[in-house]
Amino acid sequence: MSTEYYIPEDSVPLPPKNADVLTTACDYCIVACGYKVYRWPVGAASGGAKASENAYGVDFPTFATQAWVAPTQYNVVMHKGRAHNIVITPDKDTTVVNLNGDSSIRGGCIAQKVYNPDKPTRDRLKSPLVRINGMLQPVTWDFALDIAAEVSKHVIDKHGANAYSIKSYGYQYMENTYAITKFSFRDVNTAAWTWHDTPAKVTSTPGYRDAGFDNFGPSYEDWGAADTLLICGTDPYETKTIIFTQWIKPGIDNGMKVISFNPRETGGVTYAKKMGVGLHIDVYPGTDLVVLGAITRIIIENGWEDKEWINKWVNNNYETSSGFGQGTRNTPWQWRTTWGKFQTGGFDGYKKWLLAQDEYTVENASRISGVDQQKIRQAAEWLAKPKADGSRVKTSIGIEKGCYWSNNTGNTNAIASLATTCGAGGRPGQVVGRFGGHQRGGQSGGKYPRNKSPEKVPGRRRRALDTDRWLQSGHSRLAHVIGTTWLQSMAGAAQLREKFEELVTHNPHQVRSYEKDEIIKTLKQRADSGGMVVWDHDIYLRNPIGTHFADIVFPAATWGEVDFMRANGERRIRLYSKFYDAPGEAQPDWWIIAQLAKRMGFEGYDWKNSNDVAEEMSRFSRKNRKSYHMVKVAAHREGTTLHEKLRSFGTDGIQGPVFYNYDTGELHGTKRLHDTTLTQADMDKKWGADGPAGANMHSKKYTHFNTQTGKVNIQKHPWSLISDYWEWMSPKGDELWHTNGRINEIWQSGFDDTERRAYIMQRWPEDAQFLEIHPDDAKARGIESGDLLMVYNDRVPIFKNTILGVDSDEFQFTTLMKKGHIELGKAAVTAVAMVTPAIKKNVTFSNFNNMIQPTNVLQGRVVDQISGNYNYKLGVTKIKKIGESRFKHSFRTMTFVPRTIG
Amino acid sequence: MKTQTEKKAISSDTKGKCGMSRREFLLYSGVTVGAASTISITLYPGTGQAAQARVVGYPRKLIGKLSQLKDDEPVGFNYPDDLANSDAMLVKMGGIKGGGAIGPQRDVVAYNYLCTHQGGPLQGSYKAEGPYRVLGMCPLHLSTYDLTRHGIVISGQAYQSLPQVLLELDGDDIYAVGMMGLIFGRHQNLMES
Repeated sequence: MSTEYYIPEDSVPLPPKNADVLTTACDYCIVACGYKVYRWPVGAASGGAKASENAYGVDFPTFATQAWVAPTQYNVVMHKGRAHNIVITPDKDTTVVNLNGDSSIRGGCIAQKVYNPDKPTRDRLKSPLVRINGMLQPVTWDFALDIAAEVSKHVIDKHGANAYSIKSYGYQYMENTYAITKFSFRDVNTAAWTWHDTPAKVTSTPGYRDAGFDNFGPSYEDWGAADTLLICGTDPYETKTIIFTQWIKPGIDNGMKVISFNPRETGGVTYAKKMGVGLHIDVYPGTDLVVLGAITRIIIENGWEDKEWINKWVNNNYETSSGFGQGTRNTPWQWRTTWGKFQTGGFDGYKKWLLAQDEYTVENASRISGVDQQKIRQAAEWLAKPKADGSRVKTSIGIEKGCYWSNNTGNTNAIASLATTCGAGGRPGQVVGRFGGHQRGGQSGGKYPRNKSPEKVPGRRRRALDTDRWLQSGHSRLAHVIGTTWLQSMAGAAQLREKFEELVTHNPHQVRSYEKDEIIKTLKQRADSGGMVVWDHDIYLRNPIGTHFADIVFPAATWGEVDFMRANGERRIRLYSKFYDAPGEAQPDWWIIAQLAKRMGFEGYDWKNSNDVAEEMSRFSRKNRKSYHMVKVAAHREGTTLHEKLRSFGTDGIQGPVFYNYDTGELHGTKRLHDTTLTQADMDKKWGADGPAGANMHSKKYTHFNTQTGKVNIQKHPWSLISDYWEWMSPKGDELWHTNGRINEIWQSGFDDTERRAYIMQRWPEDAQFLEIHPDDAKARGIESGDLLMVYNDRVPIFKNTILGVDSDEFQFTTLMKKGHIELGKAAVTAVAMVTPAIKKNVTFSNFNNMIQPTNVLQGRVVDQISGNYNYKLGVTKIKKIGESRFKHSFRTMTFVPRTIG
Repeated sequence: MKTQTEKKAISSDTKGKCGMSRREFLLYSGVTVGAASTISITLYPGTGQAAQARVVGYPRKLIGKLSQLKDDEPVGFNYPDDLANSDAMLVKMGGIKGGGAIGPQRDVVAYNYLCTHQGGPLQGSYKAEGPYRVLGMCPLHLSTYDLTRHGIVISGQAYQSLPQVLLELDGDDIYAVGMMGLIFGRHQNLMES
């Protein structure tokens, strides 16, 4: 379908007074706004304009911020086999998250997500598919599952569990991730396993983990309650919209200062500047670290550090290294055997180290990062200079992927140390955390078998297996892909795709038969011959993982089609209600996994419904930040189920960890983790006067930090970890930096928005990957907005081998190059030029994970040597104009107006 | 007025390849900057049938005179009625061409003044910067709209473009004749009265 001819409606049905009302939350970003679904049968009368005639109880026309139904909020679905109207609008009654029923452009249009054969969602997967003669053929569940189970068993038996590679979403509801991880870890027991966004099962924020900070400790209200908020690597207006509009913006309006680290300016940064409280730290990609180091150094040189906080809450020399094998000797620091790279022996040790590092002088930091010296000094003052009356500034710090995916360990270590220096973390309005990406739908059903990973870092410990390198070096015989693209979302994606082609489509053993046994035999032969077979679960057939590579495709049921549980970025857990029938024979992933597992001979998969899964998994959540086990305890005491109890909380849900007071029968949530202001009386109220009663569990993270002592580790953050890679990567000749990220209109919703939502496709046609380029860089290349560009890189570094680290610098980029572990690949995508001063000169920016023009092909595939994560945000590109795009002179689609005007 | 409305409604219903309704005109006017005034619908066979008239039932209302518009100075009016949420703006975009724009320079456009996200007032937020013509940021949640491209969202939270008021030029008189997009707060643009 083309959106060139998209015609907006000028009327919409209102839900009638007697419409069914179900609660849910948005399917997309971490914020998870509360929504209500109004449902009434097609043919029954719709609501009227008078308050007495519609489900909202308001007179239409309504006024600003009152209830309203946009045409994109209406759809038609099947419910119990009968056509029903639905209207999905933000919950005007909610008292949390999206106050006053605020919503983002993505959630606001979520009614267009549901399956409707008359709409662009018509291509939802409806039945299992098996590839025969190159064509994916609809088959029965039994047919597909029998083949998958037989071949899976064979691969494990013959080639070992690690030949069974699994890449799964980490967020698409707890019931599903529980079933997936139970199957993967407890039963298959493979180390070749990872989430959708990392090459290996590694932490996203090593610096936070080692300091003792939970990623999602803060409550949303904390983000608007500081005097100064430092935001690194994101603009929450773009990608955490409602945290910005409902929490940060009111803070700005009340004078909260906002410092934004980002090579690019977008609406939220513009607004803070417009209000006189914004400071844009326009770093070159990957250089946040040197600026953070310089800021911390200025603070310490001026004696602005929070001495009281540091004395009380920072591990001293003894606490840092003591513990008889239980302290930091046995923390992830030592697992990774970092040879003293990070330990400090307390704040004084950190101070001494920091002041001795040349790269953290303001002059050097400015030179490396391209950030004006005055801005660095200004940031230090805003963050920590005492107020005129001598009182402290309340500082909070929030980060996201631009920070931790451009220098994973260095940036997160430096952020954690800066936070601690400023006294951030552990108090209302003085917090440190991640803003978040996807919602928190992970629930572990087993333990990752790290010791089966053949990859070892220098020293004693094994590191979680890098599934991309494992696959590239030919060890994966089966790729089980669950709700992710694998290819476009990883770095150096072109070379990964090449390997998939070699292992899957170029292998001579292709299915040519309709006989089940023959098919099984052929797929086994493919695996045995060094090739690879592919299972894929998804809601749409994705290109290329589904269209080109999958041998079997399982159709998944998703949001609104099954009751599911999930938490948001402040650990708020809600029930996402089923409100319509899943298309065709689509089934939830937990069901698909269960059928496969049972056929493979594994036990413990006899769930009848989603609540059965939830009730089994709840006890494994107990030490988790989003522990909800006590909701089940309360539910059973009240004679109901976990799901029904959670449903009774509606869009408000409850913030984990959840406690149950057996005396009062009340459930209590947790506003923030590491809350050092909580008293014994507060906790007694939650779990009873005698301490954690019954099934309640104690964890120090409620009132302390995640370390052995409960105090924070302050860590070094050496630039030398990455400086050789950064210098190698830096643009040479006519290259420019290339980095990518998410944009508001299609944030965590690309599979719906850019491909199947008429309005968003008008704004961003699916083949309209854009490249933001500074006017000076554009002029030098004769480029104007709307021109079609070839965006290419002749030296994409591809780390290709699974290696055993022996010497301490084995994973250092220079060593990897010297030893031949890096090959240089070529990659290219096309993109439409957007010339704008909102991007830093010498830097370009594109949308992450466009399916057709995936710019991750340009990004270096070299893992952070400490964590094993990719630094996805580091890349370079050359650019050449190949003509004019069809959008250049059109009035109908796209816009080339900078996002900063306003 | 009613007679005129009815007359236009009839012409808008024309499905033939030789006639072009205002709705269709608006669609094709978006195709290219240079040829907006000479577009022929025969270039796009078959699409005329798909376009539903959005001018049926809308009043034809005189809202201003071209000669009195000053560059980049919006003037307010109400459309399609004088009831709640009918606040709209008419602007000559200083020679910058726009989709659905009228006038010799194809730079005169009109839009409803309510942000389509939550109904925030966009009065006073018109911006002319270089080649860009923008309404916003909305004071509530900072949405911005591109007035040269049918009011499409530039940045922000709205669920649809800013409703565009369809215009006709008759000599020096500017008439509002229809709307594209639902006005915030209404469940139908044309209210029963």
